[in-house]
Amino acid sequence: MSSKDKKTRHVLQGTLDLIVLRNLATIGPQHAYQIATRLQQISDGLLNLNQGTLYPALVRLEQYGWIKGSWSKTESGREARFYAITVAGQKALRAETEHWRRTSQLIERLLVERARA
Amino acid sequence: MIEHFARAIAKIRGLFRNSRAEEELAREIATHLLYLEDEFLRQGLSSLEARRQARLAYGGVEQVKQAHREERSFPWLAESLQDIRHACRSLLRSPGFSVAAILTLALGIGANTAVFSVVNTVLLKPLGYPEPDRIVQFQLKATEGSVPSASIPDLRFWMQYAEAVDDISAYDLNEAVLGLTSGMPEQVHGVHVTANYFRLFGASLVLGRTFTAEEDRAGSGNVVVLSYWLWKRRFGGDPKIVGQAISLEKEPYTVVGVAGESFRTDPESDLWIPFQFNLNSDNQLHSFGAAGRLKPGLSLARANAQLRLASQAARRQGLLPDPHFAFVLEPLRDAIVRDARASLLLMQAAVGLVLLIVWANVANLLLGRATVRQREFAIRAAIGAGRGRLFRQFATESVLLSACGGAVGLLTGSLGVHALLSISPGNIPRIGVGGASVGVDWRVLMFTLGISLSVGIVFGIVPALRVWGPSLYQSLSAGNQRLGSGSSQSKKRSLIVLSEVSLSVVLLIGASLLIRTFVALRDVNPGFDRHNVFLTEMSLHGSQFATTANVARLVENARQRLAGVAGVEIAAASCSPPFASRMGLPFAATGTPSDNSGSTGDAEWMSVSPGYFAVLRIPIIRGRDFNEQDGEGASGVALINEAMGKRYWADKDPIGQAIEIGRGIGPDFEDRPRQIIGIVADTRDHDLAQPPQPTMIIPLAQEPNGITRLWLQFGPIFWLVRTRIEPHHVAVDVSEQLREASGGLPTGRVRTIDEVLSQSIARQNFNMLLLGVFAMAALALTALGIYGVTAYSVTLRTHEIGVRMALGADRARIRNLIVGKGMLTVGIGVIVGLAAAAFLARFLAGFLFGVRAWDPMVFIVVPVLLTMVALFALWIPARRAARLEPIEALRVE
Repeated sequence: MSSKDKKTRHVLQGTLDLIVLRNLATIGPQHAYQIATRLQQISDGLLNLNQGTLYPALVRLEQYGWIKGSWSKTESGREARFYAITVAGQKALRAETEHWRRTSQLIERLLVERARA
Repeated sequence: MIEHFARAIAKIRGLFRNSRAEEELAREIATHLLYLEDEFLRQGLSSLEARRQARLAYGGVEQVKQAHREERSFPWLAESLQDIRHACRSLLRSPGFSVAAILTLALGIGANTAVFSVVNTVLLKPLGYPEPDRIVQFQLKATEGSVPSASIPDLRFWMQYAEAVDDISAYDLNEAVLGLTSGMPEQVHGVHVTANYFRLFGASLVLGRTFTAEEDRAGSGNVVVLSYWLWKRRFGGDPKIVGQAISLEKEPYTVVGVAGESFRTDPESDLWIPFQFNLNSDNQLHSFGAAGRLKPGLSLARANAQLRLASQAARRQGLLPDPHFAFVLEPLRDAIVRDARASLLLMQAAVGLVLLIVWANVANLLLGRATVRQREFAIRAAIGAGRGRLFRQFATESVLLSACGGAVGLLTGSLGVHALLSISPGNIPRIGVGGASVGVDWRVLMFTLGISLSVGIVFGIVPALRVWGPSLYQSLSAGNQRLGSGSSQSKKRSLIVLSEVSLSVVLLIGASLLIRTFVALRDVNPGFDRHNVFLTEMSLHGSQFATTANVARLVENARQRLAGVAGVEIAAASCSPPFASRMGLPFAATGTPSDNSGSTGDAEWMSVSPGYFAVLRIPIIRGRDFNEQDGEGASGVALINEAMGKRYWADKDPIGQAIEIGRGIGPDFEDRPRQIIGIVADTRDHDLAQPPQPTMIIPLAQEPNGITRLWLQFGPIFWLVRTRIEPHHVAVDVSEQLREASGGLPTGRVRTIDEVLSQSIARQNFNMLLLGVFAMAALALTALGIYGVTAYSVTLRTHEIGVRMALGADRARIRNLIVGKGMLTVGIGVIVGLAAAAFLARFLAGFLFGVRAWDPMVFIVVPVLLTMVALFALWIPARRAARLEPIEALRVE
């Protein structure tokens, strides 16, 4: 992995975590394939998601205690690992969302200032 | 914050659930792929094509797994664990090699740990007092060295002039033995101290207080501070002990305090009693030590410079009679360990040489193994193992090996050191009874870890670097027999043998010199008969023995009682028997009444009861021995030894000459004029290695009262008994008679004069024993090393030997070829070793007695012994080579 890739991934890491949490909070428990497909749809291809970043993100969130994975059957009868957001995850999501809102507002304002100057 | 903590725990747990996590991940990815496949099937692709497209869309499965692992746990750690598991398996596969390497390492590391743990306890550990580095001891420095002894005028002077030092306190240098007579009589160790002693050494208290300045004045009442241990043991930890009286030497002493559990002095003491000095005394007896604490911010050098200046005043006051004498301060720890330091450093150096031999042997084992495994590594590299990973595996194995060796070594070393010290304590300070204070602390652990890892790193990692060398793949094409037979390899092995041999020569020569020293000391004729004599001591501290007459009466009474004990031939008493401390006093020869051409001098002084020379069978050369008539009321008599006669009356007969002892050094030493009535044979009863000192002897019954009082305050009286049978058989009866004669005072332990003599050369015994063990270990390791190297090279050269035989070489020739090549290396090693030993022997000179550092016997016998051992070690593999069948040898591939 080149250093440029690493940098990109690093920047996106927080964002990806937030999106996954948001997604699980809205839709409910999903397995990796569903999450991947869903992320592709909502980001409209902007987020070129690669499984090499999604899977580590899931481990990370699970280790934080924000999501919980468990095996169960899908409607098509397959074994899949479903991830559900936990109470701690809900709390983290609210905090993160708030943080992101403020950050983006700030950046927005700064960019506008810049444009005016 | 909490989530980071939770994650750290999850990662650590991940280390142990690796296989389960891997399996779940595989299942999860499989499901994912199935969904993607469905998608492509819906788009109308064939099932085969759909599967292919699904994989493409998913991306690299292995990369995802790797990214997952990195996120999930500590992959490097997991890999290391894997390396360690692999290394364990690989070492278990060749148990012969592993056991040999681990035991060799354990031997070297264990011996080093053992010696270092003593060095650590004695030389490195700080003293157990607050700010121990600031505590300094006063020394009287003369040209031959310095002694830590002080007199009352010295103490008074220091208190007045030593401005750089606070809390100047005096204390007994050797603990006094006192009879504890509360209940069952028992001898305990007491130390006399001045009142501020406890502040200087930061004593904690569990009960009461320490001495007040009033209690330390001459003529105050009897008070005592108990140690925590004595208080617990003898008084059951009685919380109301303070204020009560205990009986010491049959006199009541009021307990004022009990010291804390952690307050332990060196030497250890059961109780403390105030000196109660008369600070105005002019008494010149140097009988105690003094220490103080450097003032804050002052360096030792500054304090010493200040004291040196003040010493000028001391010269004017007559405290430093010799212009070469001076007062100096020495850190207390250095003063305590001074005598043992050189011995211990010598042992550490010697055991370091053993470690070098161990390294050489292990290097040889690893070298052989690395060669054998070259193919294995080449194959692994060929099928895709990274060289970094191969290196790590190789290094892990070596480090694991050395860690095992280190662990076994630490265990055997810490057990071995106690075994050693209980056999031969060697008069080493600070190690406690039988080495009880010697233990494993962080310094010992760091030391052992350090030397273990150094083995792993130097001898494991350096050869492992070869995985980067170009030769890794070559070994795939090379036949087995060519592996390791290259000339650089065989040079390395010769170098190993050479260095082992030369190190062994150095150690063997050192050990032989010390053995000869010890034997020479054992063979020194001390000038007295050491068989069937024992001594026991009794403290006469109490006031009923304050006068010479009372002591003389006790001695007279006791001698009569002892004469009646079955098995006792004759008994005597003295305060300064062989190898006990003695004082030196000035004397003036006042000539004969007719001729008074006087001379003055200094000589050792002792007082003895009648029978002393008979007990020790010291011959009276001329004149007569003391007898019962030389009592207090009779005229003054003295005996001198031959050395004193030769020194001071070289050209005339000393018998009949008059001397006056102790004039001008204080009223306590004022003595009557004495006439020399006889000359006794010289004895070496202070240090077997030293020539006899001029000594004057007076009858105990004629001792000045002042000396009796002073002497019995500091030391016990010794009873010497010559027996007709084994001394220990009569010891109980003798102790019983002595207790009755003294009105119930306890006697100390019984030691035969033989034991006293052995004790006096215990340090040399310790040095000899230890260096002897190291030298034997070195010899054995070297023999093993030579054998191993030769046997290995015979194995490698099997094919070549077969060819030689096929071409007509006979068996003797093959054998001589192998032995000759080996002996050449051994010979060079012996020469290098002899040169090194000749250079190093000068450092041993201070430890030797009766043998020169370049003793020709030692320098001839050691090389011969080593050559013979080497020949034996070479012979076995050489004979095996000679017995090879050419046909079979040629078949070896």
